[in-house]
Amino acid sequence: MNAIIQNILVFSALSLAIVFLVKKFFWKKKSSKKVCGSDDNCACH
Amino acid sequence: MSKQINVALIGNPNTGKTSVFNALTGLNQKVGNYPGITVEKKEGICKLPRGVKAHIIDLPGTYSLNASSLDENVVIELLLNKNDKDFPDIAVVVSDVENLKRNLLLFTQIKDLEIPTLLVINMSDRMNYKGISLNIDYLEEHLQTKIALISTRKNEGIGRLKDLIANFKDLPITPCLNASEIDQDYFDNLRKAFPNQLLYKLWLVITQDVNFGKTDRKEIDAVANFKTKSKGDLKRLQQKETIKRYQFINNVLKKGQTIDVSQAKDLRTKLDRILTHKVWGYAIFFVILLTLFQAIYDWSSVPMDFIDNVFASLSEWAKDMLPNGAFTNLLAEGIIPGLGGIVIFIPQIAFLFLFIAILEESGYMSRVVFLMDRVMRRFGLSGKSVVPLISGTACAIPAVMATRNIESWKERLITILVTPFTTCSARLPVYLIIISLVIPEGRFLGLGYQALTLMLLYLIGFGVAVISAYILNKILKIKSKTFFVVEMPNYKLPLFKNVALTVIEKTKSFIFGAGKIILAISIILWFLASYGPGEQFHNAENIVKAEYITQNLTEEDLQQKIASHKLEYSFIGITGRAIEPVIRPLGYDWKIGIAIISSFAAREVFVGTLATIYSVGSDDEETIKNRMAGEVNLVLGGPLFTFASGISLLLFYAFAMQCMSTLAIVKRETNSWKWPLLQLVIMTVFAYIVALLAFQFLK
Amino acid sequence: MQDTLAHLKHGEKGIITDISSIHIPLKLLEMGCLPGNFVQLVQLAPFQDPMYLNINGTHLAIRKETASHILIDKITDE
Repeated sequence: MNAIIQNILVFSALSLAIVFLVKKFFWKKKSSKKVCGSDDNCACH
Repeated sequence: MSKQINVALIGNPNTGKTSVFNALTGLNQKVGNYPGITVEKKEGICKLPRGVKAHIIDLPGTYSLNASSLDENVVIELLLNKNDKDFPDIAVVVSDVENLKRNLLLFTQIKDLEIPTLLVINMSDRMNYKGISLNIDYLEEHLQTKIALISTRKNEGIGRLKDLIANFKDLPITPCLNASEIDQDYFDNLRKAFPNQLLYKLWLVITQDVNFGKTDRKEIDAVANFKTKSKGDLKRLQQKETIKRYQFINNVLKKGQTIDVSQAKDLRTKLDRILTHKVWGYAIFFVILLTLFQAIYDWSSVPMDFIDNVFASLSEWAKDMLPNGAFTNLLAEGIIPGLGGIVIFIPQIAFLFLFIAILEESGYMSRVVFLMDRVMRRFGLSGKSVVPLISGTACAIPAVMATRNIESWKERLITILVTPFTTCSARLPVYLIIISLVIPEGRFLGLGYQALTLMLLYLIGFGVAVISAYILNKILKIKSKTFFVVEMPNYKLPLFKNVALTVIEKTKSFIFGAGKIILAISIILWFLASYGPGEQFHNAENIVKAEYITQNLTEEDLQQKIASHKLEYSFIGITGRAIEPVIRPLGYDWKIGIAIISSFAAREVFVGTLATIYSVGSDDEETIKNRMAGEVNLVLGGPLFTFASGISLLLFYAFAMQCMSTLAIVKRETNSWKWPLLQLVIMTVFAYIVALLAFQFLK
Repeated sequence: MQDTLAHLKHGEKGIITDISSIHIPLKLLEMGCLPGNFVQLVQLAPFQDPMYLNINGTHLAIRKETASHILIDKITDE
């Protein structure tokens, strides 16, 4: 019983970590495009 | 709940705007980003009399509403967009008593937007010192506003400021001058064409490309097409407008302000003579840099050792006290060492930001810019590149953002491209642990070999940055006007509160920003190192026992052998051994290979990775360093971390582009994938070649 | 011959008479660099460039190249 709970905890921690990283590095890029890429006002030069 | 008052703090750079913000909000503040762009957004809550609350935004410093940078754009976008949820009920313009004339230019522009506007005159404590006296009533009448004369240094006048904010409805919203006189016909036509819009708002839209809220986009587009004048004409008109505003301000100040020059005491001239001296200036700058490195390396080592030990025993404790199982292992071998790898940064980062904050606050940084411009220009950089290069010793991300005030696009691009060569604090833990393994402890001229090595690495970083800037300057064919203007603010004793808040804020955002990534990676790495496919992993115990059956191993040695066998056939072991041929010539084994791969997310993950890999399979509380020292090179024999492989690894980390966040920020700041990809490829190839040469020569 | 800001020597003062606007960005004007305003050379950086100026009470540094587009009348004391 104890081992099962521990394993569940491990896998939930793992999936949390993966979701976080994917969100951080891949999902964010998409959302920034909406704000930035549509009009050419992003660059500041 | 009563409605909050939205307050926007606006002002020139160096007016103590942030001090006002800190005085109003104290610790009730948070720093974030404006959506989609990397301009810092500082906001906070201030309690006003009678239970009213104010939501305060500290907008980026700007000299006028004619934006020339992304930061300044933020100011205009907010002030022009009535639908923004942060649109201010009241604009508070912060000015500095010594530069009132220049500060008032921005004030008159904001008044033209017909937003209730309050004028704060800061640094009133310096009035006697400078022989300045003000006729507040006269100024209030002619500037059509209320004035709060305050001193954030002495904490005077804050109460009145709060009262004035609470009663923002009493403030007049009429402009204080009629700027459209500069070309009456033109503005009359404009008014006829768009009768529902504010004239000054139209003018701002016509003269610059600002991004506006989606709601009144269409209408604004129509206005933008109303360019009946050529670009040159518009620019001339903008000049006329500026001159007109200054005329008005001069007239008001003639009666509103008297300056008795004989009363003025001049600290500036005396300090400038020394700090920008052709010999002393550079000498002092060099001493400051030396002290900075001393602080990072020497002073912070005490708290760092302490933190290291605390986390090692915490791991041990978790293992002893919690029930055995997979999750306990994850805690003790993945999460706790991972957290330790983050917390250990705090002393160094705090020292770095402490220095930078003090140099910025005191006004010294501008002198460095002034002093270094001619030298830096020889390398295609600007004097203003010094600030990014120094900030780069903390983190390349704020450093790349700090290039925004470089006026010339070419100089700015080169600065962005070379900044990641400077030794950021994420490299420090990697350097520190390798140096302590391979460099002996002796002393030379009173300086430790280890400290000298670290300083050498910093110098190499700067050196390569400057040399590559020189090369880029020759290669890049970009035509851009070289233009440079930097304000030389008064010298000020840094305010403790400001410095402390900056240090806390920056350290916090670094720890939580990078920390989450490090923690997530530690968890994944632990998993990859603790699980594996196939017979070799699952049957490790039997296989190892069979192999060593003839030798009489102690139980402890046998367990150790099983653990390392498991690690070798885990997911991570398989990946590591697959890439080993590539890194073998550099003197690394597959464990270092894993650490290098994982540190492409962020360099500091290196130490955390090794901590995770090594503590899987070890039961004692030995620190990472001792484990690393005990590693054996399986091919050459002897310890894995020798002088040769250590130097090779140090050089690899000095040059390789291992930071996804920096690449992301460079993409944003240059608005193209071309530059970050170029950076990634060139830096990594260069690092590989240098590390290869170093190992092969020193072997 | 008309003097420019770039001709100022240490401690010398002048009044700005004209600026050739193509070379001078608006930002500099907004900081007070306008015809009629007073200007003094506070200090030259090592290697004689950039120039540390007091323009109309504002202290700022600009490069010699930019300064050479700002015309002035020198003021001689005594």
